[in-house]
Amino acid sequence: MSESFQRSAGRKVMSRSSAKELGAVSHLLVDAQQRQIAAVVIGRGKKAQLVEWAQLSGFGPDAVMVVDEGALRPPADDRERAAAEGRLELVGKRALSERGNELGKLDDVTFDADTGALEDLLIGDRRVHAGSLLGSGSYAAVLDESQEPSP
Amino acid sequence: MDTIGWLILVVIVVVVAAVAFVVIRRRRRGGGVIATKDKG
Amino acid sequence: MTASQIRGLPVVTVQGGEDVAEVRDVIYSPEAGRLVGVTLNKRGFLAGRSREVLPAEAIHAVGQHAVMVLDESSLAAPEDAPDDVAHPAMERNVLGDDVLTEGGASLGKVADLVLLVGSSGEVVGYQIDKAGGGRGYIPLPAQLSVSGVALVVPNITEEFVQDDLVGLGAAVDEFRARLGLP
Repeated sequence: MSESFQRSAGRKVMSRSSAKELGAVSHLLVDAQQRQIAAVVIGRGKKAQLVEWAQLSGFGPDAVMVVDEGALRPPADDRERAAAEGRLELVGKRALSERGNELGKLDDVTFDADTGALEDLLIGDRRVHAGSLLGSGSYAAVLDESQEPSP
Repeated sequence: MDTIGWLILVVIVVVVAAVAFVVIRRRRRGGGVIATKDKG
Repeated sequence: MTASQIRGLPVVTVQGGEDVAEVRDVIYSPEAGRLVGVTLNKRGFLAGRSREVLPAEAIHAVGQHAVMVLDESSLAAPEDAPDDVAHPAMERNVLGDDVLTEGGASLGKVADLVLLVGSSGEVVGYQIDKAGGGRGYIPLPAQLSVSGVALVVPNITEEFVQDDLVGLGAAVDEFRARLGLP
């Protein structure tokens, strides 16, 4: 089932084992090379926590289900801290081609809710396959040169 | 000093600060187009 | 595109999507007619010079909005970079140079350097503020000499002053033919 970053922002996160509400989705951390969601960031600021995709029993339309509350952990490295602060957020990120030309702003990103694999990147009215994503970070999401506008 | 006097002072300070920023930034950013020494 | 459009561009990593530096000086070889490298500033409003430099070989692409490198390791420490880039001859900054023919006529002053878009750093000519006023473009001549004060060019360069960049590309080939260059 196809899901989007914009639609899933703010979705409640529940523990499967205890049925407790653990928080809400604030950001999705992406592994650009794998074109895959690596982790879900829950909560904001100092109290933000991460849960790895593998620790989800399901990313559903009404709730994100975490196997167990113990799967939640604080950010462990610089990249995770940056993600928790929202600096790696793809929605609103500048899209840059590998040739060094701006392509627009990422309005949304779609993904397969079952596997966490990225599907499409929405830039304005363009739909770009996530296979074009070469890397992303705090400054930009870099897309391969197949995305250069035709002269 | 009357109000007008203070206002003028504030404007002057702001302008001087802005100019100082521009000058400092230009000097710190530097930048030129340098020709290498060829035939060497 | 011109050197002044490249200066100030962020240096962005393809893999990391990070702006790791900014372009400071553009260093080119007049003989070879190509970009040799760039020196860098740190990112930030008042940030100054960065120790690291970027040799042309390490540049993945130069675009309108960014200079792309594969990753942070593309930035070189001065001891690992060619001398021209690590220790640029700052006294050979050609901006503002008087453009003088060998016969002693001034065509104007150097305003900018013109590079070919999408090439690997090929320099095609100079943008000049013409002696009589207005902007002109001259093809990269066989340098008779270059310093930080003047650019000395063959007499026939005077016939090749273009009004716009479109004419410059075509002018380069004809100019080189007239000079008997390959």
